[in-house]
Amino acid sequence: MGSTYKWNWGIFLDPVSTGEPATYLDWLLAGLQNTVVLALASSAIALVLGVAMGIMRCAPNRWLAAIGALYVALFRNVPVIVQLFAWYFVVPEILPVHMGTWIKELPSMTQMMALSTMCLGLYMAARVCEHIRAGLGTLPRGQRFAATALGLTLFQAYRYVLLPVALRVAIPPLTSELINVFKNSAVVSTIGLLDLSAQSQQLAEYTGQPYEAFLAATLVYIVINWIVMVIMHRVERKVRLPGYIGSK
Amino acid sequence: MIEINNISKRYGSFQVLTDCTTSVAKGEVVVVCGPSGSGKSTLIKTINGLEPIDKGDIRVNGQSVGGRGTDQSKLRSKVGMVFQNFELFPHLSVLENLTIAQIRVLKRSSDEANACGLKYLKRVGLEAHAAKYPGQLSGGQQQRAAIARALCMDPICMLFDEPTSALDPEMVNEVLDVMVELASEGTTMMCVTHEMGFARKVADRVIFMDHGEILEDTSKEEFFGNTDARTDRAKQFLARILHH
Repeated sequence: MGSTYKWNWGIFLDPVSTGEPATYLDWLLAGLQNTVVLALASSAIALVLGVAMGIMRCAPNRWLAAIGALYVALFRNVPVIVQLFAWYFVVPEILPVHMGTWIKELPSMTQMMALSTMCLGLYMAARVCEHIRAGLGTLPRGQRFAATALGLTLFQAYRYVLLPVALRVAIPPLTSELINVFKNSAVVSTIGLLDLSAQSQQLAEYTGQPYEAFLAATLVYIVINWIVMVIMHRVERKVRLPGYIGSK
Repeated sequence: MIEINNISKRYGSFQVLTDCTTSVAKGEVVVVCGPSGSGKSTLIKTINGLEPIDKGDIRVNGQSVGGRGTDQSKLRSKVGMVFQNFELFPHLSVLENLTIAQIRVLKRSSDEANACGLKYLKRVGLEAHAAKYPGQLSGGQQQRAAIARALCMDPICMLFDEPTSALDPEMVNEVLDVMVELASEGTTMMCVTHEMGFARKVADRVIFMDHGEILEDTSKEEFFGNTDARTDRAKQFLARILHH
């Protein structure tokens, strides 16, 4: 290839060769939409579940702590692609028959999106859990003492004192997780879900213009994650505590 | 007010408290001293149940701490506690630090809580700092705010766990002044401290601990005046901290 490669940036505006009423740009945008929906939905699951698990891991109760530890061991130690195959090929089979059938009868797009969201969400939750645990771990033991000595229940101490500070401490690693999930979501192309990476691959195959296709995808990933970084940086600045960790 | 009967506690194989018995009457000021590692901080933390005990019984206002029928949180809300490292909540303003438990535990309205918070901030000379965050205050100011936070709960007694040990020397007095004022108003207080000047000035009784045991529990006059009658370990301790 090299010097004989014919660049054609106009390819994105050409109608697709499958006969659908769409351009190749529309394909990329459809892929982008799936990627964004998938990443945001799984992040929401990961945040809620991860915070809950993080609290459990630190709870002064052996059983709760063990459940948290087991969760992390399971979901953090298995490659995400293996987890995805498990969700897609195994989970519908081992669920009670009527639930498995219900899943299998969903439109294939919905089914793939739902299972992929669960997969990425639960995987990411294990990582969020560890960041929350680390955040809680940075707080002096005296903070819990002080909160409960004032008569707050342990639940209130977490809700009003410990978590608000631990979450602030955890913002930088959580930003990394958010960026990771946008990238890791590309794994769903292996089960046939047309995310941004799958669409760019398809585009390359249909047009014979792989450079344009993959450069476009690269650029879009960079822009998305740059936006994520800017937003999270603002959040970080907004909740920064004067005279405390990370402040000037 | 506070009755401590034969309490013991161990961390694994380490005996932190051994058969400690003492009491604090209403309006009394008791100072607890002793070398570090003697168990005095653990003792004071058992009184509001922050440190559970293995044996014995603690009663505050007749209620058993950690007893079956006791609402632990409610009991704690009535016992003010001040910590060595202040432990203000860094994400809340000074005033919010003073109001959070009033609102969440005592169920006061936020107006009531703010009024009460400002009243006590004024008393400790910090009303100008109400909107600041703890990280913007000096250590002495933080500790005074922490005392005000405890007072906002209308405590029946106050516990101080080495309140001046983490302070720069020039800030010790501003905190001790607040404590002296509380003592002179008849507040029931138990203070773990090395400030013997404070003990001489306001204590009714002095407790001396070493290796988890209460070795001395006597009046201030007896403790500082009749030094010949003290135990050897108390004599050594006093010689070390009074001779500089």
